[in-house]
Amino acid sequence: MSIVWLIIMLVSITALLFINPSSALEALIKGANDSVTLALNLIALYGIWLGVFEILESTGISDKLAKLLRPLVRKLFKGESEEAEKYISMNVSANLLGLGNAATPMGIGAVGAMKPNEKNPNKASTNMIMLIVISATSLQIFPSTVIGLRASAGSANPADFIIPCIIATVSSTVLGIIGVKIIGALESRLSKKRELKLRVIGEAS
Amino acid sequence: MTVYIVPLIFITVLLLSVFRKKNAYSSFVKGAEGALSLMMSVLPFLLAVMAACEVFRVSGASAVVSGFLSPALEFVGIPGECAELVLLRPLSGAGSLSVLEHIYQAYGTDGIIGKCASVIYGSSETVFYVSAIYFSKSNVKNLRYAIPLALVATFLGNILGCNLCRII
Repeated sequence: MSIVWLIIMLVSITALLFINPSSALEALIKGANDSVTLALNLIALYGIWLGVFEILESTGISDKLAKLLRPLVRKLFKGESEEAEKYISMNVSANLLGLGNAATPMGIGAVGAMKPNEKNPNKASTNMIMLIVISATSLQIFPSTVIGLRASAGSANPADFIIPCIIATVSSTVLGIIGVKIIGALESRLSKKRELKLRVIGEAS
Repeated sequence: MTVYIVPLIFITVLLLSVFRKKNAYSSFVKGAEGALSLMMSVLPFLLAVMAACEVFRVSGASAVVSGFLSPALEFVGIPGECAELVLLRPLSGAGSLSVLEHIYQAYGTDGIIGKCASVIYGSSETVFYVSAIYFSKSNVKNLRYAIPLALVATFLGNILGCNLCRII
């Protein structure tokens, strides 16, 4: 991420130096401005969802939801505490309903409650990666922004892309989950092999 | 469908709190309190990514990179005109939305290019934002393969969606 960011900044600003030097700061501020506008909107949005979740929490329904989804959650996320499972199940169910923004506060809670990576706490554990991948490929059941934009641009049938769109978003989530599972399995096999090797060397000496 | 989901969730939650004799108002306020501090820890990441995305777009660098990418995208069935959208979508919702508008203006909404662009925008998330925000309150600095894998999965979804557009 840090390298990607550095390269994008260096290349773009260098290009602007030759094309249009005055617009460099302008563009940076425009982007920053967009981010602040977005952040303000998100404060409102997260305020609503965090409020609703707190009510849900007070009624004890979130525990029941977690219990209901436990079989699914345990299949995707191995060996997490009940606290983490609760956050995960609320995050995953919001993602599955297509409510990516409602899922976000729960995702942050889940990362906080999940077990850190055994080898290095600065690195994400396989379960955390699973959570990120599910959320970053989250299901967009009803892409209302695009439909609105197409309607205002004069489309004859603004929602006619929705079937390929849903198939695309579902398959990206499924592929992401499979990817994490495969890489996780390969990693644990590698580390087992390494352990075995170390033990053999230890016994030999 | 989502049109009904959200109001129904709200009604269910409120009714549940009535049945369980809980104070919904005070719980709501307590929960909403966290929103500001949440965004305060996320804003720096958001600002850095979105500012970079904007200079990337305005400088024309993203168009140049897209130019290189478009033959490869054509090969897998994504219209080359959508290259810039594919490139910017994971970085910034606002930045890629203006690219989407340009595509609609230049090529129309109902042609294959317009349809594919709609699928690409509608089926993907801002991967970098999601990754940054989820870890904004934790000590984890290294996300290992999370972002590349999410990007690959999204891209494969895009390929599938665009090819379906040609059939459906």
